[in-house]
Amino acid sequence: MLRTSVDVYHKFAPETSDKNRPDAYLVDVAEQRRDNSTIHVNTTISYKGNPVSEPSESFLDFKNSFSYGSRNDLNFKFLKGLSAEAAADFFQQLLWKLGDAYDSDDWSPVIEHVRAGQAANYAGPTRWAYDDGPRTPLAKPLSAAKIALITSTGHFVEGNDPKPFGVDNMTQEEAVRRIDEFLKATPVLAEIPVDTPHERLRARHPGYDVRGALSDHNVALPTDHLRALAAEGVIGSLHPVAYSFVGACAQTPLIKRTAPRWVEMWKTAGIDGAVLVPV
Amino acid sequence: MAEEAGIATVIIATEIFRDRVEAMRVPRLLTTPFWMGRPLGRAGDSTTQRRTLLAALELLAST
Repeated sequence: MLRTSVDVYHKFAPETSDKNRPDAYLVDVAEQRRDNSTIHVNTTISYKGNPVSEPSESFLDFKNSFSYGSRNDLNFKFLKGLSAEAAADFFQQLLWKLGDAYDSDDWSPVIEHVRAGQAANYAGPTRWAYDDGPRTPLAKPLSAAKIALITSTGHFVEGNDPKPFGVDNMTQEEAVRRIDEFLKATPVLAEIPVDTPHERLRARHPGYDVRGALSDHNVALPTDHLRALAAEGVIGSLHPVAYSFVGACAQTPLIKRTAPRWVEMWKTAGIDGAVLVPV
Repeated sequence: MAEEAGIATVIIATEIFRDRVEAMRVPRLLTTPFWMGRPLGRAGDSTTQRRTLLAALELLAST
């Protein structure tokens, strides 16, 4: 078990050079790890019980800042879910693997290390329980079926902004800041003609790093590949509109009210099968 | 609920979400070894993206 010891005072003066301040102390708050090494999570200098300099940022604050904090990076928001010990191990291994990759030019261990970190944050049982749903076979051979694409990536077409909370052209940064509001909001479905050129596609989502999707929408909204497969006859046809919404939304309204309306619309459109892409 | 309406569905998700998506008892799930936000493959990796999509469509058609 991780043990935490706080208020571990190491005498700083007068043995040190600061002989004029005999009551100054280095206040060191540390976590002791299983191997008895120590992670310093907060260090301040105090004089007669008062801080005499700006407190240094703790390691806990540092690792947590990647999750909707001062260093927000949604690829690494999982760091907040790790203990200080696990986060320190993550960084140590990351740097070690970077050193290996520099010499080997094989970056896959670095990429896998990050992926494993992301996965650890979502692994294990969920607090939600679901019933088994039916599995409906595709009514036609794939080469005759009408296929639709539906994603939770937050894509939309330039000039047709779903305007979350009434805000037009909301930036990704503002979306991230308003994550709590998104999580309480009813999702809005954006309609995206499948032949929309990449230059006119936008993506905004408070829950994941959209840079990949902005660079190449096919990482999560594979309209180009589906159009090609339709042209090649692999699928019968592609529904001319792809749909996208921000998956970071209120789940109960989505399941009970919004999604049933969407399904009815897709059924009316004669869609046989759907590719669903959550992110 | 799409299945109940006669629409067959397949989900493409990164392996990262496997436990969560499987808990939803979805009818068909293809998981991939990519980072969050890039479930079909990395940006610019058209070959992998297409292969991922074909695998999902095969799952859709065969089960």
